[in-house]
Amino acid sequence: MNPRVVGANLVVKLRCFYREKTAMFFTLAFPIILILVFGTIFMSEDNVSYHLCVQDLDRTKSSAQSIKTLEHNGKFKITKVDPDVNATQYVRDNRVNLVLVIPKGYQRHLMQRAMLSNPNASVTITYIYDPSSSSVTTKMEILNGVFAGINQELSGKPPFIRTVERSILAKKYRFIEFFVPGIIAMAVMTLSLFGTVDSDTELRQKGIIRKLSTTPITRTDWILSNILYQFILAVISAIAMLLVSYAVFDVSLHIDAWLPVFILLDVFAFVGIGMILTRFAKEAQSAAAAANAISYPMMFLSGSFFPIELMPGFLQTFAKTLPLYYLNEGLRASMVFEDNMAALRYAAVIGIFAAVVFVLGILASKWEEGR
Amino acid sequence: MTKEAEYAIEVDKLTKRYGDLSAVNDISFTVRKGEVFAFLGPNGAGKTTTVEIIETIRTPTSGNVHLLGMDVTKKKHDIVRRIGVLPQEFSSFDRITVRETVQYYSRLFSGRNTDIDGLIDLVNLKDKTNEQYKNLSGGLRQRVGIAIALVNDPEVVFLDEPTTGLDPRARREVWEVLQGLKKKGKTVFLTTHYMEEAELLADTVAIISKGKIIAMGSPGELVEKNANYPVLTLQSVDEKALEIVRTMGFEQVLSNHKDIKIRVEHTDDVQKILSAIKDAGASYLGLDVRKPNLEEVFLKLTGEALSDGPAGGRGAE
Repeated sequence: MNPRVVGANLVVKLRCFYREKTAMFFTLAFPIILILVFGTIFMSEDNVSYHLCVQDLDRTKSSAQSIKTLEHNGKFKITKVDPDVNATQYVRDNRVNLVLVIPKGYQRHLMQRAMLSNPNASVTITYIYDPSSSSVTTKMEILNGVFAGINQELSGKPPFIRTVERSILAKKYRFIEFFVPGIIAMAVMTLSLFGTVDSDTELRQKGIIRKLSTTPITRTDWILSNILYQFILAVISAIAMLLVSYAVFDVSLHIDAWLPVFILLDVFAFVGIGMILTRFAKEAQSAAAAANAISYPMMFLSGSFFPIELMPGFLQTFAKTLPLYYLNEGLRASMVFEDNMAALRYAAVIGIFAAVVFVLGILASKWEEGR
Repeated sequence: MTKEAEYAIEVDKLTKRYGDLSAVNDISFTVRKGEVFAFLGPNGAGKTTTVEIIETIRTPTSGNVHLLGMDVTKKKHDIVRRIGVLPQEFSSFDRITVRETVQYYSRLFSGRNTDIDGLIDLVNLKDKTNEQYKNLSGGLRQRVGIAIALVNDPEVVFLDEPTTGLDPRARREVWEVLQGLKKKGKTVFLTTHYMEEAELLADTVAIISKGKIIAMGSPGELVEKNANYPVLTLQSVDEKALEIVRTMGFEQVLSNHKDIKIRVEHTDDVQKILSAIKDAGASYLGLDVRKPNLEEVFLKLTGEALSDGPAGGRGAE
């Protein structure tokens, strides 16, 4: 290994990257855009508030109080519907998916139940809804929960089953905090895999590799400079993603030595896969297609975007064979759960995988004999 | 003088096979130190395979190749430090400037004593020093390639088809640079399929066809030995004149559109042909009589044309 040669190669690669403004923008901006888009979606889901239309046919203090209770629940923003309009027509005309109708006699029946303990006194609240709407079922389930609570209170007896929430984590985490480590792992994978495939096939097609093979640069120097280059880009990309996540979403993530370790393992694993693909795919397009065929399923199946528990059993088993799964879980173990032992286990698995594919990649990449 | 001191390259019974295909078939030759040696042959003749074996990029199937006294299959590490290579269809990093490109390749060697500006000056690229490679024309790119082939002050320079695809002006500019190398006393191994290039630059020419060397010597010797007869060229002949030449029994050595080249034994034959054409009322636009060149030598030896005509691909600036 010759540090001067590795340095010269690294400088050329960084210069090319810096001067290729479009590629630089998409390399760094794409994962940030993903974080902004998904972060915004999931942040609003954490503080979700549904629009609820209520038609109060009773128009009494009690019915008004019940509407206020729904509002104070925090899940609904209430719009009052004129009691004189047809609620079904209102749903159709105003493109709302649900109108809750409080019937006439609500207060009278409530008094009978609460004051006179008449067990037969009851009211029926009607949901007039559009079944084609995807969120209407969730709304009705929340409403059912609220009304079950009111019924329990009116019964005058303490509930038999009570529930309490206890998180396994010291702090309360939001979805964005689980999401960011997954996106870092995915972005580093994409950078390393496509960076290697695109660069190697382009240089091979241009004959630069052939020229380099008539200079003192060795394959070791070349591969080492490529690893360093991909690692620098990956670190820059990860820092940019973290800065945006802290600035925009005020994330709470634990940053320690595991972060660069997992980034380095990510780089080694996917540069290795990239070298193998470049060896077997003769043309740049077929190498890129092969890289796509590997990276896309991995992105969606290894839990970068959503937990693998949402997938069918056989896909969960399959996910656990993917290297990106171990990078996602390893980064979450260190950045979210602060569980060093789990991080070590995931690092060991991905470390062994990275070592194997990297060695295979070195063996697969040949300079002599040309194409 | 020992063989090692006299010869930069010694190739002995070199063969390279790809499966059943023999790309190079039992060839032997030597290149003296300080000479310009041209490998002349059409595409697919085996030029690049041979040169890439000497450059240590490929391994021979059989035979021995020594470069500066070193076995190319065993001493790659030492050899690459003493040679400069311009590969066929050379290209470099798009976004790197001329100066940075030369500097980069210089650092791959050692770079401490490389006169970067001197090299850029040598290949007449002073005014393009800060231009990115992607913005250069074909001719300028080739000159960058020659500059980086010289960054380690090599003892032997390999130039694999340095002017292929360039237009005539760009080609002449590259030739000027190569003539400069010749004056500096570098050993130059040149592969080409342009006979003008070989005639102009080479001290020794080896004609290769279908993996075999079929003739070798100085351009003058090759012509003297293989095509020692005058050639009459008639320009823009009509069909009638063409027919007359055929019926008179003269060997037509080349035909290019409406120009024909005819092998004649004596200058008297020229007069006979011209009189016959005139008597028959046929026509031609111009004529010349001269000694044959390497192209005609190649045609005579192989039965096929050498040049693919004037190139128009990569242009000059």
